[in-house]
Amino acid sequence: MQTVFSIAIDALAYGMVLFVISIGLSVTMGLMRVVNLAHGAFAMIGGYIASYAVRDLGLAYGFAVLLAVFATIIIAIPVERLLYRRIYGAPELTQVLMTIGITFCVIGIANYVFGPTLKTIPLPEHLRGPIDLGFRSIAAHKLFAIGCGAAVALGLWYLIERTSFGVKLRASVDNASMAAALGVRTQVVYAASFAIAVGLAAFGGVVGAELLPIEPYYALRYMVTFLVVVSVGGAGSIPGALLACLLLGGIDTTGRYLMPEYGEFFFYLAVIVIVSFFPRGLLGKAN
Amino acid sequence: MTAVNEIPLATSAPTGHGHLKRDLIGLAIISLFAVLGYLVFPNNLALLTRIIAILLLVLSLDLVTGYCGVATLGHAALFGSGAYAAGIAAVHFGITEPITMVVIGAAAGAVAGLLSGAIILRGHGLSQLVLSIAIIHLFHEAANKASTYTGGSDGLSGIAPDAVFGLFQFDLWGRTAYIFGIVLLLVVFMLLRQLVQSPFGMLCRGIKEDPVRISAMGASVRGTLLKMYTISGAVAGVGGALTAISTQVVGLDSLSFTMSAEALVMLVLGGTGSLYGAFIGTFVFMFFEDFVSAANPFHWLTLVGALLIAVVLCAPRGIYGTVVERLPSLWRRRS
Amino acid sequence: MKKIIISMVAAITMCSAATADTIKIGVVGPFSGPFALQGKNFKAGIDAYIATHGAGKIGDNDIEIVYRDVPQADPAQSKALAQELVVKEGVQYLAGFYFTPDAMAVTPLLEQANVPLVVMNAATSAIITKSPLIIRTSFTTWQTSAPMAKVAKERGISKVITVVSDYGPGVDAENAFKTTFGAEGGTVVESIRMPLATNDFSPIMQRVKDSGAEAVFAFLPSGPTTLGFVKAYNENGLKQAGVQFLAPGDLTQESDLPALGDPAVGILTTFHYAVSHDSAENKAFVQAASKAIGNPAELSFPSVGAYDGMHVIYKMIEATGGTQDAQKAVDAVKGLAWESPRGPVQIDAQTRHITQNIYLREVAKHEDGTFYNKEIKTFEKQGDPGLAAVK
Repeated sequence: MQTVFSIAIDALAYGMVLFVISIGLSVTMGLMRVVNLAHGAFAMIGGYIASYAVRDLGLAYGFAVLLAVFATIIIAIPVERLLYRRIYGAPELTQVLMTIGITFCVIGIANYVFGPTLKTIPLPEHLRGPIDLGFRSIAAHKLFAIGCGAAVALGLWYLIERTSFGVKLRASVDNASMAAALGVRTQVVYAASFAIAVGLAAFGGVVGAELLPIEPYYALRYMVTFLVVVSVGGAGSIPGALLACLLLGGIDTTGRYLMPEYGEFFFYLAVIVIVSFFPRGLLGKAN
Repeated sequence: MTAVNEIPLATSAPTGHGHLKRDLIGLAIISLFAVLGYLVFPNNLALLTRIIAILLLVLSLDLVTGYCGVATLGHAALFGSGAYAAGIAAVHFGITEPITMVVIGAAAGAVAGLLSGAIILRGHGLSQLVLSIAIIHLFHEAANKASTYTGGSDGLSGIAPDAVFGLFQFDLWGRTAYIFGIVLLLVVFMLLRQLVQSPFGMLCRGIKEDPVRISAMGASVRGTLLKMYTISGAVAGVGGALTAISTQVVGLDSLSFTMSAEALVMLVLGGTGSLYGAFIGTFVFMFFEDFVSAANPFHWLTLVGALLIAVVLCAPRGIYGTVVERLPSLWRRRS
Repeated sequence: MKKIIISMVAAITMCSAATADTIKIGVVGPFSGPFALQGKNFKAGIDAYIATHGAGKIGDNDIEIVYRDVPQADPAQSKALAQELVVKEGVQYLAGFYFTPDAMAVTPLLEQANVPLVVMNAATSAIITKSPLIIRTSFTTWQTSAPMAKVAKERGISKVITVVSDYGPGVDAENAFKTTFGAEGGTVVESIRMPLATNDFSPIMQRVKDSGAEAVFAFLPSGPTTLGFVKAYNENGLKQAGVQFLAPGDLTQESDLPALGDPAVGILTTFHYAVSHDSAENKAFVQAASKAIGNPAELSFPSVGAYDGMHVIYKMIEATGGTQDAQKAVDAVKGLAWESPRGPVQIDAQTRHITQNIYLREVAKHEDGTFYNKEIKTFEKQGDPGLAAVK
């Protein structure tokens, strides 16, 4: 029983980390209909900035997180203007080509600027040690990640479902020309939601760095995982992404505990089963 | 210039008699390039042979992506199955006759195509991509696990193919392998041109445009696509077998996500749905990669990325697609 | 640097009128992609050797290195590039090779091309048996893993769980440890193989905990995943519980240590080289290699394999006087012994693999807050026990 609890906690923590990093991708893919394979690249940029801020500038962790999020957004703005704007509404394959190109460039530049070594983001003292839960101990940063995941989920849900910005966003997604005719400045809406997605990527990159360490190849290494999460959950659905992360986190963690040798089989077979039965994702909207 | 003038015609309005002539011209151009390649780069034949093998993979990808509209990031599963089948036949069962090895590769590729097609075709768009990713990982893991047969991550080495027809040994300069590859390529290409212009090929295109209408016409969408997937698998399997024969080793990379993604990138780079685009995309990507990675082995990835971005910005339909699209208007303006 | 070479070239041409040939050495390694760091170390080791040994000249012959990039294990690409190096660039020596399949792919070429292959990293025992023209100056996973079983026994540990990445080298490490530990009378209570792409190691650590072993022997490829593994080991309370962490040195390579940090302190590893090794040769090497690599923190074990590989190649060139004769070159260095930065080494005349000291090290912290592998025991003149297992 204790083991079951223990696995459940691990699964929850892993799932939440996945959620924080992937939810930004769900936003771009579901709401903006862009297959953004460069999502991991933005997460990585965020991670690098935070690492630089904490280790070299000596900033406090909290400030570093904020700095990482905003600096990544600032970096992303010209990229959106010059590159992404050209591929909104383009065929999927064109989007794949463009965003893979961006990913390659970011990897090359990161390798050049920061070198190929691993970069850590030192945690503040109170997130460092293990916390005793009674039946087992868990790393404090994992609890922190769980908290961040919950906060992000709530915040996004509120933003999209309850604010006027959310209304405009959903309107632009459903019918861009109609929304524009009604006075919604769709370009601005797109730019803003892109910025939010990138900011979330950067935030996820920093918070998840303990499990997915920052190095130049980060951008490609975890791309598949992010795509899988978004697809299983249903692109654009926040509860869907949450559910997918918890489910996949659970499958992955249990699989790796019960039979680590076949962990990979377990995971991808589950993905095939889920996606075959729910081609639009668990909670994806039918078009 | 005449060559470029001919190509666009090949894709527009194919009529019974006309397209055979155009395909023969296409074939002639490829043969010309093949001879040129042999004469101009006599010391790069190993690389050229590798390009041919990859090209077969990209051509086979074009069959499902370009003609059927199936987006896949797992196509190397078919390629790798062919490579491993040919390799295992040679190492463990002593079948070292190269042409037999190619046939085995094609058969294994076809089976892998049928299998992965059956799964991938259950999804659409994003879910299709993810299914294909799951498949390539499963294939990769399976090959890693079956290390008694596949050599696992150490690779399957010790493939020693016989001389072709008992006459032409596979040599250090890779001449035999190159010519062997070129002949395979020409045969496959000719067959594929026939295939895509056949009623069956047209049906596939129709499905890509509007699956609902095709099924309303009474054709089986799924069955047709599965058939195409199997054919595509055979083509990729030939490519895999060619790698196994020419490099005498098969590694897990031939069943990797990376290779699948690269193949897709090459195809989109060249332009989908014409077979010619696959040629151009593969050559441009492989040559560019070889050139910049030799010039600067440490930071070439950035340049490859920049190339991809540039292509999307300047030639959104791929290099071939965009040339075909723009040439007629350019032509008219000049004359 | 260039100026020095030019002036030396000028000086030599003034002294002797002998005609100088350029001898090319083709180096294949991962210079981009996820293993770029290891490729960078190849280059640093090679540059360091050249800089400290006659600045690119042996006698009248100029030495030129031609690099080719194979970012990830890709035997087909590796073979194509090697073929190109031989026929197009006309290299007389092939060297480098980080991954086993890449090295394996090249072996059928050697005899026909009349080119020796100096393996500077790839660590599977069997490579060397594939051709008589191969020499290895790195290590094998068996060679570095087996002594750890002796260490475990000496420390009074009798129950061990092995946890390895599920691929060739991982399986090698598992077998090496199991075989040796069994011979020493210890028990391996459980062997776990985990997929290479594992991000969260908590469930694995749970298994380790449940197994009741006194120590965990682990192998993961150097790089990002080791970080998660070591952290999970700490965070799941295994360190507190006194479960000793044993591994071959790949896990605590120096370039990963700053990232691993405090959680890694106390990990015991066995390996052939530590950047901190205390000898005059190593000090000179580290100085030259640090200069070559730019950032000293990136220096790691592949550099020393490359450095010694160059030493062997230089000896082969000297022995053949620059003419291309692969068999003669290889024969000339069989039994060659020298003082490497890692300690005394010798190319075994029979196996053509390097015989070397294996050190037991513990991750420790300097007073200035940096981490290093502290050598605490030496196993002298270790051959490759893996070869016996291959045959």
